[in-house]
Amino acid sequence: MKDDKSPVWVIADQESCNLLPVTPQLVGKSRKLADDLGTTVEVVLLGDGVDTQPSNLFASGAERVFLGNDPALAEYHPDVYTDVIVGLAEKHKPQIILMGSTSMGRELAPLVAARLSTGLTAHCIDLNINADRVLEQIIPAYGGEITIVCPERRPQMATVAQGVFPLPALDEGCRGEVVSIDGPFVHTGRVEILEVVIEAPEGIPLDTATCVLAAGAGAGDLEGWKLIVELSKALSAGLGCTRPAVDEGWAELETMIGQSGKMVSPETYLGIGLSGEQQHMVGIAGAKTMIAVNNDKKSPVFSQVDYGVVDDCRDFVPVLLEKIRQYREKQVSC
Amino acid sequence: MLKIVVCVKAVPDPKAAGNIKIDPQTKTLLRGNVPMVLNPLDKNALEAALQIKTGMEVHITVLSMGPPEAASIVKECLALGADRGILLSDRGFGGADAFATAYTLAMGVQKNGDADVVFCGMASSDGATEWVGPEMATMLDMPVVTMVREIIPHADEAWEVKSALENGYRRMRVRLPAVFTVTRDLNSPRTLSFSGIIKARKKTITEWGLDDLGVSAERVGLKGSPTIVTEMRTVENTRKVEFIEGTREEKAEQLVQKLVEVGVL
Amino acid sequence: MIDFTFTEEQEMFRKAAREFAETMIMPKVAEMEKTGDVSQDVVKALAEADMMGITIPEEYGGLGLGYTERLIALEEISRVSVATAMMLQVFALGIEPIIKFGSEETKKKYLPGLATGKRLATTAVTEATGGSDPTGIKSSYTKDGEDFIVNGRKCFITNSHIADTITILAKAEDTPKAFCAFVIDENMPGWKATHKEHKVGMRGCNTGELSFEGLRIGKAQLLGAEGKGLGVTMAAIGDVGRGGMVGTALGLQAACLEESIKFAGQRILYGKPISFLQSIQNKIAEMKIDLEAGKLLGYRAAAIQDAGGRSSNEFAVAKYYTTEAAQKAAKMAVDIHGGYGCMEEYPVTRFWRDAAVLGPSAGTSDIMKVIIARWAMS
Repeated sequence: MKDDKSPVWVIADQESCNLLPVTPQLVGKSRKLADDLGTTVEVVLLGDGVDTQPSNLFASGAERVFLGNDPALAEYHPDVYTDVIVGLAEKHKPQIILMGSTSMGRELAPLVAARLSTGLTAHCIDLNINADRVLEQIIPAYGGEITIVCPERRPQMATVAQGVFPLPALDEGCRGEVVSIDGPFVHTGRVEILEVVIEAPEGIPLDTATCVLAAGAGAGDLEGWKLIVELSKALSAGLGCTRPAVDEGWAELETMIGQSGKMVSPETYLGIGLSGEQQHMVGIAGAKTMIAVNNDKKSPVFSQVDYGVVDDCRDFVPVLLEKIRQYREKQVSC
Repeated sequence: MLKIVVCVKAVPDPKAAGNIKIDPQTKTLLRGNVPMVLNPLDKNALEAALQIKTGMEVHITVLSMGPPEAASIVKECLALGADRGILLSDRGFGGADAFATAYTLAMGVQKNGDADVVFCGMASSDGATEWVGPEMATMLDMPVVTMVREIIPHADEAWEVKSALENGYRRMRVRLPAVFTVTRDLNSPRTLSFSGIIKARKKTITEWGLDDLGVSAERVGLKGSPTIVTEMRTVENTRKVEFIEGTREEKAEQLVQKLVEVGVL
Repeated sequence: MIDFTFTEEQEMFRKAAREFAETMIMPKVAEMEKTGDVSQDVVKALAEADMMGITIPEEYGGLGLGYTERLIALEEISRVSVATAMMLQVFALGIEPIIKFGSEETKKKYLPGLATGKRLATTAVTEATGGSDPTGIKSSYTKDGEDFIVNGRKCFITNSHIADTITILAKAEDTPKAFCAFVIDENMPGWKATHKEHKVGMRGCNTGELSFEGLRIGKAQLLGAEGKGLGVTMAAIGDVGRGGMVGTALGLQAACLEESIKFAGQRILYGKPISFLQSIQNKIAEMKIDLEAGKLLGYRAAAIQDAGGRSSNEFAVAKYYTTEAAQKAAKMAVDIHGGYGCMEEYPVTRFWRDAAVLGPSAGTSDIMKVIIARWAMS
């Protein structure tokens, strides 16, 4: 495998014919991996009406795009997508396949990996090529990090959450080859997609918020959580949470920040009533300024932030809300 | 009669999982004294099966791969209402990654025979890969729907399910036999009851090893795992905390000031 | 070799009871504290979880489990709500005389309903003039052919206003030392629940008075032989009543210890959590010692009872020890909380008030010492 020049692949993820940010992020990272290996970056793009997207992929660093542009590919279908990707992979033998940890990637990646009888690492926070030209897949675990490799089988497969890698600088001049994938794209009918329903999320979206407020078990109860919601509005912050808040039913799973939730990189992070568990903190590690409020001075959260307030959040948040209100009033009167 | 298999896993109690740490010197795992419990999402998987059982004739088998001690969580599932328990236990199964785990469980499902439905939790709290369900489905040549948040079972062998997306859901129709991985939004799992524990006295747990499954040792456990962990390390914190001190009022005022400085207010 | 381990099944019962208490009872505690009334949701939850039928034989719709399992359930429920454990323990106190002394007909009439919570039980012995010394009671019966006519009043009766199946004790109006125990139900005219008490603690567990006026009871309702009623009620109180208080006290001890450890780990003084202070550690160690010792006493007594032996003396020791220890633990837990220990949003204030009710219930500590001394000197 020393001289393996086979390509690095990214499976593109799109919604309404627009690439999700995770796709160019992965292409950018793949460019780096492929340069280290002395090989090429190729993308598999499936959809209907996505034929204008390859240029964006080339600008991000891809050299070749396998384009399946067909009404039968409009929506992700597990059997159809798996068949197409497995067919291509068996023919072109990529050494690495990366996918976003999106709802599609989280289902499609294991289906492809199982068909190709190869390994798959979940929700990586970093990827490197080691001295043996093997992909090192880094995941957070047990308060530290672990490195996973797939030494023998190929391709090496991993999923990565949106926001882990930066968007690459686009080079609009870059061109590449488009290889179109021909149908027919059929399936046995054992799974039928009846409809895809999009539910608009409430509040400020976490991905783009400049300030993210996250809270956890310290909110105490639903009443306490309402104070947190109020604070997020007062700060115009995106509201995220930790696992306990989801388990208690205060917050939606979609707003969970962390390795198996959302990865975000806001300017400012304010963590309230949470213990700084690694699962959560890796999702916010990219924030510029980090502030935590926790009633336990010994809480691990304080070793991971820039500013700390030791106080019970149930008592502190109402006072903070009042001070914010006073500040706003002063601003208006000036 | 509908035959359902529910795959479950014994995991370190998530409430105490923070006690499991990496030894900075030896780079090995310090397991602490964390008790093993039923993986939380697997409770939702079992509950899904139990709820279907109230509407039609169903036989529920609980299938787990793990050390002999994992029999206790299988027993717990029997006490919750499952009819039969199978524990896949063998030294050869140890060290399995998601792929080898999926293969071993798939062989267990096959040996148990004629499953119409296989339920799994979407992920395990310790591994958090989400791969076992879909990989097992592939190995069993069954369709899979992941992140199921609603199920409408139909007697005509095609079920309607809703599967969660980041910003909505997919509604799909799935022909049985099929594998479903479930989210915690699907249901509220019942808790153990005294009468359930008593009823479980009459239920047995079957233990199957490598020979019982009739699989090659090369395909299970560490040997059958495509991926391996090569390194564990602790992570140094790069941030140094500055505490905001004073009375509650003063702390709040200073924090507002800080939020103004960084441009939030 | 003495085996001090719980069976795997008993460990599972404990887990079940804990899950039940935390998911079904915990959310109702605030409401019970606020109103002081019995929560119908709690009663329903106890019934649905088969908690009322633990010791009722399976042939009468119960679980047919032993006193060890009952102790486990009470301990876990009391850890979350002492009031609920007290209510449940007294259900059993009303059920036990029917199991032990009821005729087949009486058992069939009441036990299935009691097992499922359709019927709620209690025992009414205590009166203003006698409880621990039941010979001092004044409620009396006269005979009218085969029937008994009862008049009198009972006080401090747990579950007085919710129970419909009640074991009562009355003395013969004309024959000294002749007592009868009867089971009465809601279909018999001539009795009613009157005054409702407002206790300092155990809010959500009902205590009050019962009055009997010309209460006509058929012979079939007699528990045990005519004239031998004292033994019937004393057997129930000695084993089941005291045993139930032990479970209730152990749960409260555990709760005090847990809250204390939690608070001591969070409260910062001199730059460190107060759990680093030896004076705090001393209190926590004492609570732990008392809990460990109390468990040994309580579960040993329950094991004796499960093996068919008489355990009322052993339970007297355990009842004395654990209810005293629970009061000590509640005081220490409040002390550890400092000023917060006076604020009602902290559960230790409830523990303190609940602990105060534990002492006198089912016989004061002084009465326990009388019984224990009598045992020692016998």
